[in-house]
Amino acid sequence: MVLFRAPPDAPVVAATSFTARGTPPPLAEPRALVGAFKEAQEPKKTAKSKKAKKAKIDKPAPDEVTDDDEATGGTAQATDTVEKPGPFVWKQHPSIRFGKAVRVEFEAKFQEDGRSSYSGGLANAGVDAWELHRNRVGVKGSVGKHIDFEVERELTEKELTERDVLVGLTPKSQWKDVDVNVDYVKNAQIQVGKFKIPFGLDELTGVTHNDFVYRSLGANYLAPARDVGGMVHGSFLKHRLQYAAGAFTHDGDNARSKKIQGGNETVAGRVTFRPLRRVSPALDTLEIGTAVALTALSDDSFRPNGLRGRTVITQDTFFKPVYVKGRRSRMEGDVDWTIGPASLRAEYTQVRDTRRNQSLTDGDLPDARYRSWYVSATWLLTGEHKRRPVKPKSDLFDRGVGAVELVGRIERVWFDSVGGTDEPFANSRAENILRVGDRAITMGVNWTLNRFVKLQFNAIRERIDDPDRNPVANGSAFWSRVVRLQFVL
Amino acid sequence: MLTARPHRFVALLAATTIVAGAAFVAGVRAATPAVAEFFDDSQVQTIDFTINSRDWQSLKDHYLDNDYYPCDFKWRDQVVRNVGIRSRGTGSRSGAKPGLRVDFDRFTTKQTFLGTLKSFILRNQTQDASNMHERIGMLLYQRLGVPAVRETYARVYVNNTYSGLYTIVESPDKAYLDRIYGDKDGHLYKYDYNAGDSPWFFQSIGDDPAQYVPHPFKPETHEDDPQPEFVRNFIRIASTDSDAVWRSNLASYIDWENFAKHIAVEAFIADQDGFNGDYGVNNFYWYRWTNKNLFSWIAWDKSEAFKSAPTQNVFHNVLEGDPARRNRLSARAMTLDDVRNMYLDALLALAASAGERDPAAPDDTRGWMEREIDRDYQQIRDLVYADSEKPFTNEEFEQAVESLRTFARIRPGSVVTQVNTFRRR
Repeated sequence: MVLFRAPPDAPVVAATSFTARGTPPPLAEPRALVGAFKEAQEPKKTAKSKKAKKAKIDKPAPDEVTDDDEATGGTAQATDTVEKPGPFVWKQHPSIRFGKAVRVEFEAKFQEDGRSSYSGGLANAGVDAWELHRNRVGVKGSVGKHIDFEVERELTEKELTERDVLVGLTPKSQWKDVDVNVDYVKNAQIQVGKFKIPFGLDELTGVTHNDFVYRSLGANYLAPARDVGGMVHGSFLKHRLQYAAGAFTHDGDNARSKKIQGGNETVAGRVTFRPLRRVSPALDTLEIGTAVALTALSDDSFRPNGLRGRTVITQDTFFKPVYVKGRRSRMEGDVDWTIGPASLRAEYTQVRDTRRNQSLTDGDLPDARYRSWYVSATWLLTGEHKRRPVKPKSDLFDRGVGAVELVGRIERVWFDSVGGTDEPFANSRAENILRVGDRAITMGVNWTLNRFVKLQFNAIRERIDDPDRNPVANGSAFWSRVVRLQFVL
Repeated sequence: MLTARPHRFVALLAATTIVAGAAFVAGVRAATPAVAEFFDDSQVQTIDFTINSRDWQSLKDHYLDNDYYPCDFKWRDQVVRNVGIRSRGTGSRSGAKPGLRVDFDRFTTKQTFLGTLKSFILRNQTQDASNMHERIGMLLYQRLGVPAVRETYARVYVNNTYSGLYTIVESPDKAYLDRIYGDKDGHLYKYDYNAGDSPWFFQSIGDDPAQYVPHPFKPETHEDDPQPEFVRNFIRIASTDSDAVWRSNLASYIDWENFAKHIAVEAFIADQDGFNGDYGVNNFYWYRWTNKNLFSWIAWDKSEAFKSAPTQNVFHNVLEGDPARRNRLSARAMTLDDVRNMYLDALLALAASAGERDPAAPDDTRGWMEREIDRDYQQIRDLVYADSEKPFTNEEFEQAVESLRTFARIRPGSVVTQVNTFRRR
């Protein structure tokens, strides 16, 4: 991601890139940034190994944005860059460059999924066993030294988080990231357009960088995702402290559906910090983050405007939205740690919706509360250093087998209300919302064949803790399986 | 003796406990009214809903949608919380006076009212200015010995505001099936005619079961295993088999007496929108008995009855009327002598029942049907007048009741004449 520019003294390596477009860069993809800082701090210690690695690092993945030209004032020339006379260049992506003034890169992301779940589950969800889940194309680039832009569009929208799309309805917008970033002030860059609201470690991780086929339930249903707005972001303390804060017209795609209006004006802020950077190499990459988002909630819609809970693949709604009005408060805390070939992530999210005038007698109700957590871990069996995206030491059919990674995640999302003395009920105006949640365990293998192609295999076990709202009879747990073929250009 | 006394004491204590327990249980039972009291038509019932005011307005504003809204329900001293209501109906849908479906188990699985009712209907009578067609029609089914849903009038209050006169209609569901058939585990289908559907006159639809279920035959039980092939087989045999095998092949699917009585009541009440209706097949449920091919007809929605002339041909849309619009099954059934006689006998029985004089009032010249109309009129007149949401004027109500009285006076004689004339041919 070019939105955060590396400092002039940063090493000219792929690690200076930050994230895929559309996510608040350093916050979303801290690993790349961490690598840059680590090398800047210890330039001599690993000189040989750095040289050895450089050839690999200089082959960035297509979905990893490098910014070497800009970081060095346009003087860097990566060894693997296929330079041709004229404006056309193919480094990570096909791109057109007009000197140093204008750069336009073309990119594409394709994800084909094959799925299975409990009997009848996919049919109920209107989900095909095989489908082109994502088919995104876009351009990104820069104008001059200080203006970056990005436009990305879903050609065949198949987001599982939008069931209406799956049954053939047109989503509200197929535009994904459409934004401009201006960085005249490095520590206070300004981004405007449509992009992800700075909230949630998992949600802010780029779609092609995820360790799992599907994001966590909390990311999919509690975090806001993309919306139109403006944001200021930057970093301090040599990038140990990073921040992003913005205002948005609504509270993101995840809060909306064909039937759910979603929240209104939203302000959000996120801070990440690496407290132990100089304490120990093992703890160097430990990053903690937190975010807050506040949203105005109306009850203009005649349908409930709260958040919902759904199962991972089959999209069974085990918690239907409740009527809300007033304010939606989101908070999250997360930890992200990478050590050698392994990584560990954990995140806790809590959302509270006020419910003014929402009782059967038009009185106020206690806040609705939605919570989630997950802990995930990954291990690269082939020995690469963990980063997102993973880069194989040796590509398949190029003296290697690619990168093979084991991944696992345990998570829970659950819904209830804060207080309330009444008998708990499952209706949308219950004073005391009858608690329901989903407990999921995901296990899988990621096989990154080369910088373009990745295969992911996930097995997901879910159980809804209210048998009446469990899609499988008798409240039993159920398994789903998914394989994803990802191609990124 | 000394050792026997403790035994006597224990026995006495046990007996006392049993008697007290039985009395307590009996008392509890007595405190909970029976479902029959809810459908007691000797009085107008009173129903109260407590619902968020915006929900009630939304339900009216979006009366074409089927969104459920939570509410609390009260009848007498019985309060049921966590109940779902939604707008319902096809042609009767109204934003001013919405027809309502009341689901007790919408938000709480297995919640019932009075022990067995999972839901019921509040019919808004927006297509019947008299408010009586539905109830009188169902009563005629019952008087002929054909099971039908129970109905009674109700004054409905929403948030303590009178929201109109409604008719409580029993839901055809498992509890209903158990009550009328003693068999509830079969497959129940509602013929689900939607606006825009092509009228169907029981012609062949095709071999694909998906052309039958879930539309137009909407499964009401066993939704996960609706077994459409049985519906397909029945209709395919009924509409395509040759005369030589038609009856024998249908033998396991149809109870001819049930069928003949069902269409006889429709004919007697001149139902324009029933199985032999003017707009194609409509307004009935089919129940396929457990582990059998047998389908039984269950009558539904008689608001469009009694609107035609009381002299209407009893073979309307069967042997009379535009051939293209005649019901194929009914018309073909009339070629069977015994079935035709069942039909004609049922019509005569209905005529006799509707015109039956009150033995306790020899001077009263009114038949049962006219007396029932007058009784209903006395029950509901003031409530209809006070109903500001009804889509009719008070004058139209009076005219509709008078038309119904006229129908009641003329129809029995007309039917008897037609049947006798037909039989003399």
